[in-house]
Amino acid sequence: MSQSITLLAVFEGMEPAAEGIEKLHDLGLNDDEMNVISGIPVKGSILGRPSAITYVSRIGMFGAILGMSFGIFLIYGIPYLYPLLVGGQPIFPVPQGLIITFEMTMLGLMGFAFIGMFVDSGFPSYTPKEYVSEISDGKIAVLFSCPDNDQKKFVDVLIKSGAQSVAPAEARQL
Amino acid sequence: MATYAKPLSRPKPHTEEHEDPREMLMHDPLPRGKMNEMVMESMHETSWKFWGVTGFLVFVVLTCLVYAWYRLIMDGLGIAGVNRPVFWGIFLVDVVFWIGISHAGTFISAILRVLKVESRRPFTRAAELMTTFGLVQAGFSVFMHMGRVWLAYWMAPIPNERMIWPNFHSPLMWDFMAISTYLLCSTMYLFLPLIPDMAMARDRTQEGWLKTFYKILALGFRGTEGEWKNLTTAMNLFAFAIIPVMFSVHTIVSWDFAMASRPGWASTVFGPYFVIGALHSGMAAVAIVLFLLRSTMKHYKYFIRPEHFNTIGMLMFLVSMAWAYFYLNDYIVPWYGGNKWDKIVQEFAEKGPLAPLWYIMLFCNIVVPWAVLWNKKWRSTPWLLAITGFFINIGMWLERYIIIPEGLTINRMPFTWRLYFPGVEVALTIGMFALFFLLYMLASRIIPLIPVWEVQEGQESHMLRKIGKAEIPTLSDLE
Repeated sequence: MSQSITLLAVFEGMEPAAEGIEKLHDLGLNDDEMNVISGIPVKGSILGRPSAITYVSRIGMFGAILGMSFGIFLIYGIPYLYPLLVGGQPIFPVPQGLIITFEMTMLGLMGFAFIGMFVDSGFPSYTPKEYVSEISDGKIAVLFSCPDNDQKKFVDVLIKSGAQSVAPAEARQL
Repeated sequence: MATYAKPLSRPKPHTEEHEDPREMLMHDPLPRGKMNEMVMESMHETSWKFWGVTGFLVFVVLTCLVYAWYRLIMDGLGIAGVNRPVFWGIFLVDVVFWIGISHAGTFISAILRVLKVESRRPFTRAAELMTTFGLVQAGFSVFMHMGRVWLAYWMAPIPNERMIWPNFHSPLMWDFMAISTYLLCSTMYLFLPLIPDMAMARDRTQEGWLKTFYKILALGFRGTEGEWKNLTTAMNLFAFAIIPVMFSVHTIVSWDFAMASRPGWASTVFGPYFVIGALHSGMAAVAIVLFLLRSTMKHYKYFIRPEHFNTIGMLMFLVSMAWAYFYLNDYIVPWYGGNKWDKIVQEFAEKGPLAPLWYIMLFCNIVVPWAVLWNKKWRSTPWLLAITGFFINIGMWLERYIIIPEGLTINRMPFTWRLYFPGVEVALTIGMFALFFLLYMLASRIIPLIPVWEVQEGQESHMLRKIGKAEIPTLSDLE
């Protein structure tokens, strides 16, 4: 059984990258066997790829529920511990409760969406990774694995479809 | 029957009426590498003038802020001008002013992002940074106003042996919660779109502490599909969620006043009036900051163009009209109602010893912007827009002065009436302005103030399409 090798193909723009990805599909690679790295967000459909899955919104919603619970605790829990009488107002006031609950809900929503972005992306991560700095200069890179024996075939096809370079991907310190 | 059309009375030559779309940033693209290089160069090439101004600001901060605050702590609030009946002086004016300034960042970044206003792209970060630094100043003002700042933690709902708990019935406590939420969320919102630019800076910095700084803040970002998806989802979520928080903050700030049944303060229109006022001063401050950045930072003339000043100028014009509308509402109802105390407060503002402030406020907030901003050529002129912004900020600061210390001068007990003369607050206010500019200048050296990836994304989405004789700008939705 032949071993696989990870290659990094660098393209000038979206058109050749889309074509290169199509060729990789033709050569039998599945979408989960490749990854696109780019300097700007690129819609999956532009490159003929499925849209990436994210859990950020769901984590944010979970945070909103937690925040709301905390807000309710503050406004209704604290008067239990230390009742404060304010002229003409009930100890557990609904209008004030709405304000505090709103602020805590939004804090929970955004705080957890922020944390969710970290968790879902695996940030922070300072270990070596497959990357070339040209990506932040606007190039698009396709990272994929192929059988070691077929490396030349994959390289030739990608160069023909417009790749500027196709080389074994080396994990390097960012 | 013959058909005819009325000819143009004074036809203009094509060159006069046709603007070249290539003058717009989105239609004048440069390679991404070149733009990265320009932004990095603008951060790292500093002249002696920059350090001269920095040194001066450090001196002002040390004397007017650090030393004056030290004296305030050691000697007590007695050295400030606050006394009966004006217990809320310039400190509170500054709180409201700086929170107002902070609103522009969110307004420009979040609302324009939600509405997909493309010309926002190069200056969102410059505006967002104002939010964070503005809120820092607002926080300082609150702490100064407290006097015994070391007891600030009493506002936090933590169990303690004194059994003293925050009173959530109080608008001041709502304010604390709202401003804290806004500060945290706007800082996160500033950081999110910064991650790819930190990665860009990391890739372009060879060694030294800056490399470590960028590396840490880039978090290991490479730009994989998953990372972009998570980042853009979080940014979109923030853009929608932070708008109601922004509105809530200044509404609650207004309730600090409106919830008190004082003449001149108890107004149901105060919430939206304060929000519009915040946007009025905030937008004007963005115009000033963009002018300063464009004038002092290398290559920024490429990124920040007259079209951007035009966008901000239009927003300023719209907001100044809205402000005038709300001001009229706040003015005319008590005036017509004829309540004795409301009438005295209004007459004190218009005819009292501080009346010039009232007229200057109206001149700066209405006359100046309306005189300048109706004209596209004028509002697209950076220095003119910056001067207009300067006038608006003077007007808005005075508006808060008229509402707070001047409003407190007159109350239902005439024997307590007394004019407010600020003391150490003046030095502290100067110090805070200096700190704001100092923080901004230092940040401009280490943080890419132009979100290069957003500019490139915009340039990829725009193209010119020939229709008939003209080339029309078109936009593709790549997001």
